[in-house]
Parts: sequence; structure tokens; C-alpha cells
Amino acid sequence: MNVNLKIWRQGSDSVKGILKTYRLENIDPNISFLEMLDILNIKLVKEKRDPVAFDHDCREGICGSCGFMINGRPHGPQKATTVCQLHMRAFNNEDDILLEPFRAESFPVIKDLSVDRKSFDRIISSGGYVSTNTGEAPEANSISIEKEYADEAFLSSACIGCGACVAACKNSSAMLFTSAKVSHLSLLPQGQKEGKDRVAKMVAIMDEEGFGACTNTGACSAECPKEIGQINIARLNQEYISSSLSGFLKKKNE
Amino acid sequence: MPIIKLLTSSVGRKILMAITGLLLAFFMAFHLFGNLFLFVGEEAFNAYVNKLHQLGFLIRIAEFFLVLFVGSHAYSGTLLWIKNRKAKKVVSSYSKENTPSAARSAAFTGSIVFIFLATHWSTFWYKFNFDLQGMSYYYVVTESSVGFGSPAVSVFYIVAIALLGYHLKHGIASAGQTLGIVGTKYENIYNNLTAIFWFWIPLGFISIPVWFGFLVRII
Repeated sequence: MNVNLKIWRQGSDSVKGILKTYRLENIDPNISFLEMLDILNIKLVKEKRDPVAFDHDCREGICGSCGFMINGRPHGPQKATTVCQLHMRAFNNEDDILLEPFRAESFPVIKDLSVDRKSFDRIISSGGYVSTNTGEAPEANSISIEKEYADEAFLSSACIGCGACVAACKNSSAMLFTSAKVSHLSLLPQGQKEGKDRVAKMVAIMDEEGFGACTNTGACSAECPKEIGQINIARLNQEYISSSLSGFLKKKNE
Repeated sequence: MPIIKLLTSSVGRKILMAITGLLLAFFMAFHLFGNLFLFVGEEAFNAYVNKLHQLGFLIRIAEFFLVLFVGSHAYSGTLLWIKNRKAKKVVSSYSKENTPSAARSAAFTGSIVFIFLATHWSTFWYKFNFDLQGMSYYYVVTESSVGFGSPAVSVFYIVAIALLGYHLKHGIASAGQTLGIVGTKYENIYNNLTAIFWFWIPLGFISIPVWFGFLVRII
């Protein structure tokens, strides 16, 4: 199959970018999207031109490294699929395919399709953890957890932090990401102890990093390659309300 | 102070918007209850308005809170709108497929509703309270030039209330999510009630200019 690619080329965040057109012919429809870009880059290197920069690591859909906009949608047209798991058979022969990076003020462009998502790391390190003593792994069944909660926590923990939610959001809000991390931990007894502090800290850093606010449009969940649900945002809001109110009462009693 | 943080963070501002928005939606239900006396007849409507006026300072306190709710709702909304604008970088091919238009246009419909409210206060509210000029309340609404005696006013009311309904279509559902009602056992009850506020109550309001502004003159 043949495809016409329009790719965003930008040297760094401080310079202006431009869309450039590339044509690839005789592509096997069963190769992955990233393999198609590999072929393009091999071609570009052979022609002594600058290859297209894009992020990738595991190529198994579980690491969260890959991701860019394909025809205006994060990770492309296929539901619940990361770019690395997307195949060329999802497109038609002679299709025009437009590639742009995940854009947000909090995701500065490193080069071309690769963006800096350290703002996510800073949200995580502000509270997305459980403080425990290290040492031998504890006996798995010493704390019993209802299956319902374990399942829900597992669904939230499926978030790979790729940033598609921010790219899909009209406000570039990081609420889906942050709420997945908050509810993953607050659904489990090990995480509940620090729950109230965690949500306050993570929301504060999320605001500081310059992400927009949540308008509850649901676009993030619709585009999420791991199908993280809107319920996580409702849970974050519940946590946040109770965290703020309990903090208020504590201050009064002191 | 955690309570200050609650009110100034992005999540907190949304919570403030959700609470004030819901309270205003409840007020709308009460407002419509009074308006429907117009259909009962002139005497009934005038008697109802007189009853409200007899409450005196209680009404003024209620009005103070209504203005406070509208003000803080609009203020938070504007600040969030600015924050959201700053956070976004334009993607030339950005797909709006998964963002409902009611959500996308909430700031716009809200602004129109705000202009509508300003007009509403400077005409009906002002006339009812300070400038009756011997007219009955019923006459002000149904026949006068600030009321539905003017086709332009009637059309403006119909359009503005329809936009308010559209604003609430997103707003009421969004408030359920922001207040964390979604995901609790009350979720279904809440979702079933949203249509009352975004569809039936606005429809009730629209029926008044449609009837007194147009239909009653044609029939």
C-alpha cells in the first residue's frame, strides 16, 4: 500500500515547526505504524536527510512511551490502542495521514513528534506512591481486599501515563491521568492511609504544572488507549472534597 | 488554610461552580413555579407577586445570595476559561469528535445567559420593584414593551432560555461528576433527574413568551 504522510517537523520547543509531506510506497499493510515510520527514517537517513524523531520503547502497548496525534486523534483512529499496536491495515491505500505531537503548554516539544512529559513525573512524585518499609515482600494474603475493589484498582492502575488524555482534552487537562493514579491507590487499604494528603498534593502540582481544568467532556476516556474511565475523575473529586474538609476540621481542633 | 486551597485550586473552582450552578438551577424551578401563575390568570399572578413582596427583607436576602451565586459562578468560570486557554497549544488537525458541543460551548452559552440576566434584571426586576407606573405585574409581563408585548423581547427570551437549557445540559451532568455523585449509588437517580433541569424547566419558561408573545395574538 502507498501512503502520503504529513509530519510535523520542529527542531525544538523554541523554534517554529512546519508540516512536511513524505510519500511511502509498497508498504506491507501488516506492519505496525511505528515500523512504517522506521522505514521512512531509514529512507531519510539514506538520503542524508534528518530522520523523524518519535518516542517508543516496548512496542507492546504497556510502557506509555509512544504516542502522537494521527489525523487529530491521540494514538490514531483505533479504539483502546497505542500507536505501537496500531497497524497499517487500519488505513487505506493512498490515505493522507497527518502526524503531530501531543501538544500542550505542559508538554514542550523536544523534537518533531517527541514531547517532554516530565510534568507527569512531577505529579507522580508529589504523591503517587505508598510509603512502606522496604525489605522482604509481605505475605500476599495478610490484608484481604474485596474482589470488587481489587478489580477497580486494577483498572485504574492500567494507566500507562502516555499523555493521550491531555492531548485529547480541549483544555489540556491532566485530570484523567492524575485521577487514575489517585484512585488506583485510594481504592486499596495500603494506599488509603496517605490518601487525603496525596490528592491535595497531586492536584496542587497538577495546577502548578499549567494543565487546564477538567470540563467533564469525556474526550480523554474516549481516546485513552487503556480505557481509563471517567469514574476515576469522580473519585478524585470525592477524595478532594473530603480531603479539604477534613483538613479544615483538623486545623480547627489544633 | 485548606478551605482557601479548596476554593482556589482548579478542582476547587469546579466544585464551587457545581454547587452554585445547582443552587441556581433549583432557584429556576422555584422561579418557574411563580411564572406559571401567568397561565392561571391576571389576578392569580398579581396576587402571587404581591405575596412575594410582602416577604420584604427576606426577598432581599435571597436576591443577595442569587447575585452572589451568579457572580461566583461566572467569576470561577472565567478564571478557569483563562487557565484552560493558557494550557492549550493548537493542534491543526485536532479532532473534536469526542467532545460534546454542549461542553465545548459552555463558556459561550454562559456568557449569553449572563447578558440575558443583565437585561432581565434591568427590565422585569427593575419594573416590578421600582417603576410600575400604575401597570399591573401581569400587564408588564404580557403586554408592555419591555415584556412580551414586543416580539423582539419574546424572541430574545426564547433564544436565551434555549441556550440556558443547552448550558445546563452540560452543566448539570458535569456537576454530578465534579461533586463525585457519579460512581455512588445515587448516580442513576441523579442522571434521571438531569433532564428536568436542562429540558423541562427551560421548556416551561419558553412556553410563556411563545404563548403570550405570539400564540395568544394569533388565536
